[in-house]
Amino acid sequence: MSLIFNPLTNWFSKQFFHHSSMAGYLEPVIQLFKPSWRDGYYRAKVLSVTLIANKTVALELKTESRWPTHQAGQHIELTIDINGRLSTRVFTIASSPNQAMHEGVIRLVIKQQDAGLFTPFLSRLTVNAWVNISKPKGTFLLPQSNAVSLFAAGTGITPFIAMLHQALHEVAQPIHLFYYAKPNAHLLVAELESLSNRLPNFTFTLLSRSIDGDVVKKLPDCHNTHWMVCGPNDFHKTIRDYALMHQQSLSSEHFSLVDLHSTGDEKAHFQVDHGGIKFSADNQQPLLAQFQANNINVPYGCGMGICHQCQCVKKKGVVRDIRTGKLSDYGEELIQLCVSQVVSDVEFKA
Amino acid sequence: MAKVGEQDANYIRRVIVMQRILEWSGRILLVLGFVSPWLWLVGVLALATAKILDNMEIGHNVMHGQYDWMNDKHINSKAYEWDIACDGKSWNRVHNFEHHTYTNIIGKDRDFGYGLLRLSNDFRWRVKNLWQFFTYLNLSVLFQWGVSYHELAAERVFFGKKKDNRDYKVPHSELKTRFFSKGARQLIKDYLIFPLLAGPFFLWVLIGNLIANLLRNLWTSTIIFCGHFTGDVKTFSEKECENETKGQWYYRQALGSSNIKGSNWFHVLTGHLSFQIEHHLFPDMPAKRYREIAPKVQQVFLEHGIQYNTGSFLKQYSSVVKRILRYSLP
Ligand code: FES
Repeated sequence: MSLIFNPLTNWFSKQFFHHSSMAGYLEPVIQLFKPSWRDGYYRAKVLSVTLIANKTVALELKTESRWPTHQAGQHIELTIDINGRLSTRVFTIASSPNQAMHEGVIRLVIKQQDAGLFTPFLSRLTVNAWVNISKPKGTFLLPQSNAVSLFAAGTGITPFIAMLHQALHEVAQPIHLFYYAKPNAHLLVAELESLSNRLPNFTFTLLSRSIDGDVVKKLPDCHNTHWMVCGPNDFHKTIRDYALMHQQSLSSEHFSLVDLHSTGDEKAHFQVDHGGIKFSADNQQPLLAQFQANNINVPYGCGMGICHQCQCVKKKGVVRDIRTGKLSDYGEELIQLCVSQVVSDVEFKA
Repeated sequence: MAKVGEQDANYIRRVIVMQRILEWSGRILLVLGFVSPWLWLVGVLALATAKILDNMEIGHNVMHGQYDWMNDKHINSKAYEWDIACDGKSWNRVHNFEHHTYTNIIGKDRDFGYGLLRLSNDFRWRVKNLWQFFTYLNLSVLFQWGVSYHELAAERVFFGKKKDNRDYKVPHSELKTRFFSKGARQLIKDYLIFPLLAGPFFLWVLIGNLIANLLRNLWTSTIIFCGHFTGDVKTFSEKECENETKGQWYYRQALGSSNIKGSNWFHVLTGHLSFQIEHHLFPDMPAKRYREIAPKVQQVFLEHGIQYNTGSFLKQYSSVVKRILRYSLP
């Protein structure tokens, strides 16, 4: 495909087909033959969707052959079509590069959010359905040599699972995993056990804050190892603060779960990033007014949500539609500034 | 609106596929004219239909943001560009904003009469209005250029006056560049490159393209006039609309447009502008849904004693012609 879509054909398309890219012009036609084919994305086919624990699904995908294999610990953007609308979320791959290379299969382990706009729909995916994925991204990788301590909480186990599976194929350093979750809610325990049987250097402990106390208690035992953390914000912050104090080397990946507690009416402030220009905005006024108050010139027209002049590409963050009160998606989408208020930190393409 | 979803996404993709197929087969058949002139004729019609679909059902509606909710990289009001002389980005600005916000407010909605025709008593009669029916015919023939030029002038007037302290403006130079570059691309494509590609059949293809563009122009202009300038359509003054409420805005939208009755294919080819009233009330609803809401809209109009302007194509068109003729006299 890359043969057909390059700057030259894009120029051609612009001249003859009034479309800024050849892919954009041809996409609906190509989709007749290759369902869900999308310019700039890779395709993957659903092999299985399994409920592996309460509200947690494992999604196995067969990637198309040109997909560049990931490194253990990397994540991808997963795009699915939910009732005609494309939605995207980021997930860490919980399977080894080795498996991806030889079988073309990757696995995602995903916690389903009750009120989510994306994850609840995963269980509706049927076998053989097509989804889109991005190329693998991220630099959260197991370092060479050195003893390592892994700290995981909840679904934060996923990158480590990938690393451990990969370690089966490589010589690995001593690794110990501290895995926090609610009592009896640890994921993939059987898999961890089989891994520790096969990997002589790997050990793990399952922990729960309510029983074993805060993760801080474990940290002093782990000096002289490299730390890797994956879990929700507060978990990550606790460990990072400690590491800073003790000059401990640490790499981390934390979920970008948006804090939506402030969707009520109390006034709150959030950070808006418009192509690098940052300012603070409140959740009371329309964004358009706040852009203007900060001297950022954006096109606009009616100011009442009909003309779409004020449309902007939101990269991430959640906004509320003033007219309907509906919250937007978390990922990338077009929004109208004049009828949107922020309810989280938001980033826009300039 | 809650129902909008997969169906609509599939529908617009299907129309796009149809458009692409018609466009290519049209262009190929034009060249095959040397086998039989009939093939050429079919080619012309296919190409004209493709252009109409592109401008009306796809371009116009996508650029209104009707499909932005799909989150598709290519099918949205920011990315789409249409096969017409007028630059999409510029059109988007005047049409979506001025025309749809200030519908039929004399002095603000420059679409009313396009500054060429006198279509109500709000304008002083001038001698040139005597022959405005011919001006109208001319405008129809050259509709794509009219739309394009209209836009350019609009920006000049609108921003030259610095109204409403709107501080973000598109510089004139940029608008001019857009006008000329888009226009030139259209001319070169239809009247030079494609004919040249046909080699010895240069003229066949050139004339075919010319006719296809002409058909498209006549069709779009006719539909648009039927939607906006039938005898029943009311106008408003700037005074009347100061501080209007959302309700009054809807009311003005309702009285400022008129519908055309017709069959399935007719609605698709008009880009559902045959539901001009619904379009003015809900410009960013996927247009095919107008069919569903039309009865409800009509019901509401009835309850409030508002006139719902509709009629067959012939009735509406003759009403337009009458209006143009009527106001050519003082
Ligand atoms: S300014 Fe018209 S939609 Fe926002």
